[in-house]
Amino acid sequence: MTINTLSQDGVQRQQMPCLTKMERMIISMQDPDMGIKLRNQRLLITVIPHAMTGLDIVEWLIKKCSISDEEALHVGQLFVKYGYIYPLKEPRNLILKADDSSYRFQTPYYWMSTRWPASELDYAIYLAKKNIRKQGELIEYEKECYNALHKRINHTWDFVVMQAREQLRASKQRRKGDRIVLECQEQAYWLVNRPPPGTQDSIDHGPERRTTNTRVQLNAEFYKKEIEHNRISLARNRVKSSICLESYVKYCEQYQPHDPIMQGCLPSNPWITDDIMFWNMNSETVALPTKLRVERWSFSFMELLNDQMGRKEFLTYLEKEFSAENLCFWQACEDVRHGETAKIPEKVDEVYKQFLAPGASRWVNIDSKTMEKTLEGLKRPHRFVLDDAQMHIYFLMKKDSYPRYLKSELYKNLLARAIVPQETKKSVFPFMRRQRHSSPSPALATQTAEDDGKAKYSNSNSGTASRL
Amino acid sequence: MGKDECKTMLDALNKVTACYRHLVIALGSTSDSQNLREELKKTRKKAQELAVANRTKLTSLLKDKNISKDDRAEYERLWVLFTSSVELLEVDMKRSLEIGQDFPLKVPTRHLIQTGMTGSTTTVAARAMSVQNMKYEADANIDTVDLKELETEIAQVDQMMEEMEMKVQVAPWAVEAKQEAGAELKSTVSVGNSSVGVISICEEEPKETVEGETGLMKVFAGVIFTAVLLIAGILGYLVINL
Repeated sequence: MTINTLSQDGVQRQQMPCLTKMERMIISMQDPDMGIKLRNQRLLITVIPHAMTGLDIVEWLIKKCSISDEEALHVGQLFVKYGYIYPLKEPRNLILKADDSSYRFQTPYYWMSTRWPASELDYAIYLAKKNIRKQGELIEYEKECYNALHKRINHTWDFVVMQAREQLRASKQRRKGDRIVLECQEQAYWLVNRPPPGTQDSIDHGPERRTTNTRVQLNAEFYKKEIEHNRISLARNRVKSSICLESYVKYCEQYQPHDPIMQGCLPSNPWITDDIMFWNMNSETVALPTKLRVERWSFSFMELLNDQMGRKEFLTYLEKEFSAENLCFWQACEDVRHGETAKIPEKVDEVYKQFLAPGASRWVNIDSKTMEKTLEGLKRPHRFVLDDAQMHIYFLMKKDSYPRYLKSELYKNLLARAIVPQETKKSVFPFMRRQRHSSPSPALATQTAEDDGKAKYSNSNSGTASRL
Repeated sequence: MGKDECKTMLDALNKVTACYRHLVIALGSTSDSQNLREELKKTRKKAQELAVANRTKLTSLLKDKNISKDDRAEYERLWVLFTSSVELLEVDMKRSLEIGQDFPLKVPTRHLIQTGMTGSTTTVAARAMSVQNMKYEADANIDTVDLKELETEIAQVDQMMEEMEMKVQVAPWAVEAKQEAGAELKSTVSVGNSSVGVISICEEEPKETVEGETGLMKVFAGVIFTAVLLIAGILGYLVINL
């Protein structure tokens, strides 16, 4: 048997839903009363009916679907792209122009269908026919395809030649007008299904998957797994949208004063004024933090831990409470999780020696079950082996130390001392005011390093451009 | 001889398949009609008869153990051609079923696609059936009745193909085509020339496909032009002198 590209594991393919919708529209366009107005196409001697202009199509779509101009044009484009309508004047240019360029409908046999993809055999027959008609003068890419096909389906090549000849003889039996239409139709079909290189491929088939190995056996095992899976999905924790929306609103309200875009940022937005004071004041190693920053630590424990300064402050507090080892352990675990894979065994070893071994210098208080599990896992250390212990300590700190920190003197003092930066005053005299323009492009900086003469010219150029 | 018989039968099947495809292309368009449906039915039946005949002949030939290697290779090649033909036929039958169902004829408002084809397909069908004129004797509701028959026939063809696959062990990749690339150009000059003028209308490329002719035309035009110039020169000279 020849290589059959149509049957895919014997499963009947479904027609793409968008294609069914398009087909319905095309059929409604054929309505004698409400359909598209059709004209005749005049070619030298022959007159072929059933041609329409691009403008007709767009107008019909606007009337039928009550949509705007632009949308109608776009929908019409889809029809042309998928080959339901083809252009007559420039067949290779598959676009819809809303003027008097003519188009025609494609016959249902050549409609795009995912159930009947264009096969190689058919393409070979088409190319052979074209070869005969044009006496060997095929276009470059068609020649390549022809040769490639000749190699690939060489075993049926005789059939291709025979069939091509017969099909041409059959079409000779028809009237001239019909013959022209037939050829145009076939050409349009192949332009859509085997687009020339460089044009857009409207049918994105994707790679053909021959997954015969993983064919599922529909037996009792399979159904048992399905049932189990569905049962677990049913028991999944779900939050009512009213509740999660409430918390969403609360979150937004809480964070709004901290959002530089919504609230504006003090002293000034560096992207606008080129003044980097904002970043300097909020850097990690600053003597006094801003008030907003300190307030943010009270939102959640994670906020506190994510901020380096906050972490340091928290550590000082914990040292006073003699529970600093918790935070150190947590930090060490984070390092294991996010660090280099090669260093994991030694890091885990360190952690064990420092925090988990009985009688360690900074022993952390973990419950026995987690400790057992962790010690078991330490025999084969991997990235997430300390996860359970870390989680336990995290929750311990969150429930216990963190609220106390927020109520502590340390935090309150810091909050009182925190600065609220002043907004930079706009200068009274306009010519003293700082120019608000974007910084010069870094590409420019490299150019000045290379060539002075050129750079001066381009500098002045870009300067004027940015001022516009 | 068995081979020649096979070849003629295969050619006949090939012809009918090509005509059938031609008819299916017209389905659903404005050249669709009662007659077309009947033509489809008749062509289809003929194609099936030929397919069955071909199959029996070829299977009997291939089952014969006492044939030479060359003969066997030839029969395998013919077998591959036969299977391709039947595959094409099967696909066309399935598509005609689908399109036939989507475009019934006996409905109050027919919505056939206006493709620009308005002629009839009688001549194509006549070619397929190898008759001079087609006779139409079907009932009015052929489009629905025929579809049911079509379904059963498709099932039959499917079954036949499966049997063929199982019973005859022919490796398609081992078959080599006799024709090389471009073979179709050699013996079909007549087919090419007649449709040249037609095609250039729908093509973008205004290529001159017959180079020799235009060259000749150019030389001829040049000769006439120089002759006219000479005559004009002579006349002018005479006028000035007289």
